[in-house]
Amino acid sequence: MTTHRGLSRRSLLAAVGGLAALPMLSSCGSATGSTARLRTAFPVSGARESLDPHTSSLFVDQARAKALFDTLVAYADDMSVVPRLAESWEADPTGTRWRVRLRTARFHDGSPVTAEDVLYSYRRIADPATASPARWQFTDIDFAASRARSERELELVLHRPNFEFPVAWGAPATEIVPAGTTDFSAPVGSGPFRFVSFSPGAPAVLRRFDDYWDGPAGIEELEFVPINDESARVAALLSGQVHYAHDVSANSAQTLQRESRVRVLTAEGGTMQALALKVDRPPFRDPRVLRAVQLGIDREQLVEVVLAGQGVVGNDLFGNGLEHYPRDLPPRRRDPEQARDLLRQAGAEGLFFELLTSAADPYFEPASGLLAQQLSDIGLRVSPRVLSAETYFSDINDAGVAAHTRTAALPVVSFLRQRLRSDTASGNYTHYRSAEFDALLDKALATADPQQRGRLLAEAQLLARDRSGLVVWGFSDWNVAVSSELTGLRAAPPNSLDWARFDGVGFA
Amino acid sequence: MTARAVVLRVGAALVQVAVAAIAVFVLTALLPGDTAVVVLGEHADQQQLAALRAQLGLDDPLEQRFLNWVTGLLRGDLGVSLLTGAPVAEEIGRGLATTVLLAGATLLVLLPVAFATGVYCGLREDSRVAWAVNSLLLLLNAIPEFVLGLLLIGAVSVRAGWLPATAAGLSGWSLLSEPAVLVLPVLVLAAKQVCGLARQVRIGVIEANSAEYADHVRLLGLSEPVVVLRHVLPGGIRPALQQLARTVDGLLGGVVVVEALFAFPGVGSGFVEAVKARDLPLVQGYALLFAVTTVVLSLVADLLTARLVPQAEAAR
Repeated sequence: MTTHRGLSRRSLLAAVGGLAALPMLSSCGSATGSTARLRTAFPVSGARESLDPHTSSLFVDQARAKALFDTLVAYADDMSVVPRLAESWEADPTGTRWRVRLRTARFHDGSPVTAEDVLYSYRRIADPATASPARWQFTDIDFAASRARSERELELVLHRPNFEFPVAWGAPATEIVPAGTTDFSAPVGSGPFRFVSFSPGAPAVLRRFDDYWDGPAGIEELEFVPINDESARVAALLSGQVHYAHDVSANSAQTLQRESRVRVLTAEGGTMQALALKVDRPPFRDPRVLRAVQLGIDREQLVEVVLAGQGVVGNDLFGNGLEHYPRDLPPRRRDPEQARDLLRQAGAEGLFFELLTSAADPYFEPASGLLAQQLSDIGLRVSPRVLSAETYFSDINDAGVAAHTRTAALPVVSFLRQRLRSDTASGNYTHYRSAEFDALLDKALATADPQQRGRLLAEAQLLARDRSGLVVWGFSDWNVAVSSELTGLRAAPPNSLDWARFDGVGFA
Repeated sequence: MTARAVVLRVGAALVQVAVAAIAVFVLTALLPGDTAVVVLGEHADQQQLAALRAQLGLDDPLEQRFLNWVTGLLRGDLGVSLLTGAPVAEEIGRGLATTVLLAGATLLVLLPVAFATGVYCGLREDSRVAWAVNSLLLLLNAIPEFVLGLLLIGAVSVRAGWLPATAAGLSGWSLLSEPAVLVLPVLVLAAKQVCGLARQVRIGVIEANSAEYADHVRLLGLSEPVVVLRHVLPGGIRPALQQLARTVDGLLGGVVVVEALFAFPGVGSGFVEAVKARDLPLVQGYALLFAVTTVVLSLVADLLTARLVPQAEAAR
């Protein structure tokens, strides 16, 4: 489906919503029929349609996994670690031996959650045969040396020191499953909802688990309804068919502000929007050309125009406002004069390059046009090239010299390890390879003192800010829309504990 | 049509289906990326990709995979979906039930309306009503489906709250548990198709009504209703049959926009999803389904047309 059609459909729905100032007669549909069942609408496009939490990569998979299972820890809004199944933990002075104490919790079949279950789950995730997106989080675990000290006490041994290891326990696709589980057609977890029914392409229905360790959920049943089209999700919400619509566009969010029946929950700056310039090849191998682009783009204008002001201006760093984000840095301002100067020195005046883009993110294509215009002011000729949306993020691993990229909120440490370290397997779209950065990051992870570790992490980020080739121009807002009769939901960034978490929800 | 003509026609149909299958296979294989990339997402490393490719058989040469598919097909086996591991027939069957239901409901509305308006406008060619009806049909035809769909959703579902906006999780036969969800998509589909069909009927009726044989039977003193029912209508409907075949074909394969708009998981969106996931066996399954549907419908239309042509029958 082309962006053009998507946009025009959305704006049309906006117009319909806006024009009709008629009084609402009533709301209809099956959602309001039984107030005990919460109906949520998610896009499922490309889903493998399995309830195996360890292979989940889409938001709908993660939301279903969160309802059915638990992780050892979770992320607060700033991506700092908060306890869940793990009650407490401590590292030895080397940072290679972690003792974790589990809280008393039960799986849906009544059996207790034990240290063996955690070991089984982590081993399964680290196994290449599982093909888990979280695999890299656990490849440092020495499973031969790790063991269950008792039913609720676990010792995890690492091949190298990592004082930020608990971050891995809260990552998506690291849920704890009962030891020995291989079949997830009717999964048993320890989460707030039990499995009732699911078949591919159809809704998943879950029921409250009364023995949940965090207290039983406020609703009896939870249903995940697959609706791929954004305007259909919004229409289903407005007509009362569902109570929660995941991933609502900035356009719809604006229209919905006028509706009393729904609330828009906006996680401000939830997603990083950036340009990835490959620094291992011309022209951006020359730091002067890279610097010229950093100085040549107008971040304020990009946020104002492309994000329609619904976002935060970037400062060439990931993780605005998150734990370990260097806050007190002056913003990077546009300086076309100096940018032109640098290009002259580098002999790169009038340089031409292609900017890879796709419909994988609604902001990529509008940003391309504006960026090309801004960079033409400093004498660069930029031509956008559209790639296939489905395989875009895999294609830009190697292709081209410049590409749009985006990343939803995740802990800064995870980002640095996964996107900027030399040994990262994929996702380092700029091909940044710096022994200095790697050494700083390793040193930080091996530092026990949190303040000292924070300083080293900040240092590593500042180094990467200038050299990594990642030009972060902004952070787009993340919207979901919910029925105004729901209580207990608030705006939360993707991947955080309170994002798509439905056990605290009630009906007003 | 003689038996020999029918055999030739069926043979040509089989060739058409085979060509379509090969073309789709090659075109899908030419798309960048493969199922392993789609399944594992943006952060897969090469090791994981290689493992999954080996598991899915994506390493085999293209001609080998095509050969496997064809030999499977000859055994009546369409293979399994790379994405979900479920049999292709099962995957397509799910969407097909939704689509058949939607198409069937649409035809129930479309056929009487299109034929009634077509016949009326044909017989009362110069009346004001015919002119108004014609203009209305043209207008409906000019409105894109997604515009009409959004307007109806906005007014009827969101504002008035009279009908559900989307299927919201219902699919296949479960749609019958809440038939109200069918109303809006059926209206949108019927509104788009009614113009083409009614116009063909109208043209056919005008032609047949003014044909020599119609005048002839009138001169023989047959009453006007008998003339119209027995002699004008069969000839008048004939040109509409091919159009009807195309309409049914479109309803069974190409209503992607309406499916997306009303969240109906039919074969149109199933096909789009399969292409997006580079799920070659599934894409092939859909292509085969669409090709067979088109060919069979046009065959049936040809046979029916031949049956309805009085002149041709008489000449034999």
